[in-house]
Amino acid sequence: MIKHTVKILKKEWLSADIFSLEFNLPGLHPTPGQFFQVRINETFDPLLNRPISIADYEKTRVSMVIKVVGKGTELLSKKKVGEELIVYGPLGRRLKIENKNSLLIAGGIGVAPLFFLAKRLKRAWIDFTFVYGARNPSALVLKDEIEKLTSNVIFITETGGKKSGTALSVLSELNLTVYEIGYACGPKAMLKELQKLNLGFPIYAFCEDFLGCGCGLCLGCAIKYYGRYQRICEDGPVFELKGIEFDGGDI
Amino acid sequence: MVEIFDIKFKNPVFIASGVFGFGLKYKSVTRGVGAIFTKGITLKPRVGNPPPRIYETPAGIINSVGLENPGVKEFCNSILPRLKKLNNRIFVNVAGFTIDEYAQIVEEIGEGVTGFELNVSCPNVKEGGVLFGQDPKMVGKIVRMVRKRTRRPIIVKLTANFCDPLKIGKACVDAGADGLSLINTIFGMAFDIKRKKPIITGGLSGPAIKPFALYCLHRLKDLKVPLIGMGGIMTGRDAYEFLLAGASAVAVGTALLRDPYAPLQIIKELEVLLQNKSV
Repeated sequence: MIKHTVKILKKEWLSADIFSLEFNLPGLHPTPGQFFQVRINETFDPLLNRPISIADYEKTRVSMVIKVVGKGTELLSKKKVGEELIVYGPLGRRLKIENKNSLLIAGGIGVAPLFFLAKRLKRAWIDFTFVYGARNPSALVLKDEIEKLTSNVIFITETGGKKSGTALSVLSELNLTVYEIGYACGPKAMLKELQKLNLGFPIYAFCEDFLGCGCGLCLGCAIKYYGRYQRICEDGPVFELKGIEFDGGDI
Repeated sequence: MVEIFDIKFKNPVFIASGVFGFGLKYKSVTRGVGAIFTKGITLKPRVGNPPPRIYETPAGIINSVGLENPGVKEFCNSILPRLKKLNNRIFVNVAGFTIDEYAQIVEEIGEGVTGFELNVSCPNVKEGGVLFGQDPKMVGKIVRMVRKRTRRPIIVKLTANFCDPLKIGKACVDAGADGLSLINTIFGMAFDIKRKKPIITGGLSGPAIKPFALYCLHRLKDLKVPLIGMGGIMTGRDAYEFLLAGASAVAVGTALLRDPYAPLQIIKELEVLLQNKSV
């Protein structure tokens, strides 16, 4: 795990509680799903770093899209452009992108790593559809950027707008037989439901959890996968959805 | 350089058991510290506890990993040889569920390690663990049994959960322990107020427990055996406080979750403090 001290080059609020941070880190070759452990402050409360997935890596620039959900992300949201940040990474197993017609299903802030994936699919000329559900229209972030990547996109919100629903509720509108692979990132309830739908092609879940060390040492982030505990940070964070035992392991 | 148990250590900052894998990953850290205490090894492999296994509290963490490890055979076959190549002092943390198991594990590992740390204080297992460590007679039996099986230094890792570590420490020393390490994590719990249910019960570690750990260690300072102090050491200053309280060396645990390179920084800071005695 490489420790970097970086300077925040850009910070932007994308919604009332979602913001993006950008910093320069040349020479990385991150893959979608990989993340950084981000140091919150130099005091010990909060004590642990926060795992933040990579939302984009363009040339030398890392972009992270972060939702304020607790004390750590709240403190992180107060960082300003020009301030230094300690980050460790990139961490997590590298994802091999497959040349298969892909369905991307994002729920809430799960959009961040899937946006990175969508960019990589586009670069590799791989066809994909992006389904993205959020609580309300103002919580849909990166909308313009996703529309630039594909016209095969469905945005849906639970409240507001003419049509309401979730990322899963709109799947029935799609011709699912054309997809050969799926990628999903979102709340545990969404992933559980998606597993039950059994769409007929393999789906890879980008798992998010509270991590301890983030680099495979502490065994704190266990997930039951095909009957065995795996570490989300080191063995994942991307796992085949079919193999996750939600009752035997939290995510 | 420090000398403890008639063994030379390159510095008095060790890696505590449980939070650094087996020390095979960040080799510069494993090589740089005075010694590494391995993850707890049990006789048979253990899959560990179901999640959640970790929870953050103010200035601390609660863990409930449950001694996940590959068992002593696998440890001896595939981990220990690689660990030895790192050419540093190795203490194997031994966790038994019966008194016999401690002795069996120590015998299986043999004399090719620096020493053993007997874990009689794990709060995250149903049998053995902390229950042994709260009972002076029981820890005495364990130490006596292990003493017969090895000439290597035996350190007992003490709990301070609902017992007086001084009483337990005395019993260990009387039974032949060469040193004591303290403290293991203390019982902790967190609640989910939305569901009105506990989220986790487990062992609390980190800066939140440092004052208590220091106090416990200081209580044992007259026992005339080397003490390894631990509990929330994050900086060189923290380490120095433990040395002042009576420790011969310290072990770093939770700090590694925040920064795997933390022990190297602590060593540097401690060196400065030890050179400048007027601090």
